[in-house]
Amino acid sequence: MFTGFHSMLRAAGLPVGVGEWLAVVAALDRGAIGPSMPEFYHVARALVCRDEGDFDRFDQAFAAYFQGASLPEPLHQLIHSWLDNPLEKPPLTPEELAALESYDLETLRKLYEERLKQQTERHDGGSHWIGTGGTSPFGQGGQHPTGMRVGEGASGRGQAVSMAKARKFRNYRSDVVLDTRQIAVAIRKLRRLEHKSRRLELDIDATIAATSRNGGEIEIIERPERRNQARVVLILDAGGSMDPHVRTVEAFFSAMKQGGGLREVETYYFHNCVYGFVYTDMAMLHKKPLPDVLRSVPPHTYLMMVGDGWMAPRELFSPYGAIEYGMADEVPGIERIATIAAAFERRAWLNPIPDNYWGESTIGAIGELVPMFPLTVQGMIDAVATLMGQGDRRPRPVRKPLWSRGENPFDVP
Amino acid sequence: MTLPPGIAPWAPDTLARWNGTPTYIADEALKSTVSVAIALGRPLLVKGEPGTGKTLLARAIAEGMGLDMLTWHIKSTTRAQDGLYLYDTVARLNDARFGDRDVRDIAQYIKLGPLGEAFERAGKGERVVLLIDEIDKADLEFPNDLLHELDAMRFRIAETGREIVAHLRPIVVITSNAEKELPDAFLRRCVFHYIEFPSEELLTRICRVHHPDIDDKLLSAALRQFIKIRTLAELRKRPSTSELIDWLAGLRLSGIDPEKLEQTVPFAGVLLKQEKDTQRLARTDLSKLGQRR
Repeated sequence: MFTGFHSMLRAAGLPVGVGEWLAVVAALDRGAIGPSMPEFYHVARALVCRDEGDFDRFDQAFAAYFQGASLPEPLHQLIHSWLDNPLEKPPLTPEELAALESYDLETLRKLYEERLKQQTERHDGGSHWIGTGGTSPFGQGGQHPTGMRVGEGASGRGQAVSMAKARKFRNYRSDVVLDTRQIAVAIRKLRRLEHKSRRLELDIDATIAATSRNGGEIEIIERPERRNQARVVLILDAGGSMDPHVRTVEAFFSAMKQGGGLREVETYYFHNCVYGFVYTDMAMLHKKPLPDVLRSVPPHTYLMMVGDGWMAPRELFSPYGAIEYGMADEVPGIERIATIAAAFERRAWLNPIPDNYWGESTIGAIGELVPMFPLTVQGMIDAVATLMGQGDRRPRPVRKPLWSRGENPFDVP
Repeated sequence: MTLPPGIAPWAPDTLARWNGTPTYIADEALKSTVSVAIALGRPLLVKGEPGTGKTLLARAIAEGMGLDMLTWHIKSTTRAQDGLYLYDTVARLNDARFGDRDVRDIAQYIKLGPLGEAFERAGKGERVVLLIDEIDKADLEFPNDLLHELDAMRFRIAETGREIVAHLRPIVVITSNAEKELPDAFLRRCVFHYIEFPSEELLTRICRVHHPDIDDKLLSAALRQFIKIRTLAELRKRPSTSELIDWLAGLRLSGIDPEKLEQTVPFAGVLLKQEKDTQRLARTDLSKLGQRR
């Protein structure tokens, strides 16, 4: 029954498994759905969607199946993913580069969405708007739309479809699914459980033992609850080159703060590279000298650094290498990082840049001091395993960077 | 037909359609969703802005179907086990020393939790509505720990070996404020509903239910003002239905002239709880906001 609708839902990107679909069929089978389209719409949506973020996709698939509207989604998604991961996509043409430079990401995205809308509405082939020549993945979708009819209104069918076509839930959907939960689950493994807490719990075994020794006279034994004692010092790069990764970092950050169940997360920020001080706020107004930060760290604290580690070599290796006014530091950045690394027995660096770009760059040099992992869910799992000193999940060996081979070829006179 | 996991076998009495109650006004989407969750015997997961009646829904279902309701309030320290049963070791220890009860009978020290009680009553043929309130408050793994029990509708008390089986599925309503994401495996087994903020027409009906003898002029003036406030940009916490109802009560008690409502927002503290929001309202001339639209 309606298997075409099922495949349409899947095509719209909803993870509808057999279980969900059978539930829809069972609901129809038992007469739990009345003979009206609006009711079918609501019930199917309740069974298929797991989050209000899914409603928009559902609406599109519904309109597509019951009224022959087109599914614009793949096109839409591609553009979004392209804008979100500028590094992994094919090189941009000069025109596109020019566009990127004159608009910020948000404006650019809006512009694309606008044009995308125009294309669908006008039945244009429209591949020239987005993408170049035949190579761009965005060209395909333009031929996709088969036309969209306007809802008829009066009949029940029309109502449900126009409901779906209104796409009220557009604002709830997030095209890039940032799985804070998965990250939080990974961080969960970072723990030092100790019986240290102000809250006391009854120690049954000890109580029974004490009571028996006491000749049956009850003696209550309490002990502090077991709590996660793990502390983390988190040092984040908030510099300009991190802007494309801001969503990933946000997801990571909120998972660390809320979901991780850590005893304490102390956060500092830096710009591009760490020099003589770090900032205690994201707006980078309040400085804290690096030695002060390191002095106050309790033993067994984990260090997590987040940054792209990507900069001009002199910013890392030269004294007074900072490009920004007011940051000048006689000690090269790499030595500052080495100082931080030495202060923490357990440390990891998470990098939003995919690891095939690391190689012999400033990233490689930093990776020698602080084990580096990609800022992905798997990267998090590996990083936590390394922090906990478990198993063989050593980070991918980073080739020895040039600077450590006795000479510094990047040294700028 | 072989049923997928989490779908109850068909029972004719489950086909009852829920139509809201005189005091709980539901839109068609909610009515259909609740009815289908009951028919399939799946938990109903309800999300939505705070104050849109997520928690009240469970009571309304119980009332509408003439069933008892059990509530399980979830806190950050709640464990899945707490919902099934508690083994009161302290009482047993105490009885071993002072009591006259037979301490060899462990069963008397087992106290069923809300989920356990719902199962037991369902096992005796009594259907209940179980509200699991604010599931997102609990630990990350909490929903996963419940999966097996909600699927199989049975559990075993380890201390006594007794098994509690719910032959009739209790109606489970779960609310979430989306503070944490819920695991996929859990979501897959639920019927999901997002309570949207009610339309003006529905809002009027809801207000009428709570204030049946309210003056028409006052109601429409207050609603106009309320909707304007809700559309203000940059509000940190937009006022919701429950706040509107409280506000109306305040307005009626003060006996304010509906005409005056156009210019001022009396008792703004009932609607806006954040200081920044109150300041935002003070900066805005609401009568102009209306004209521009």
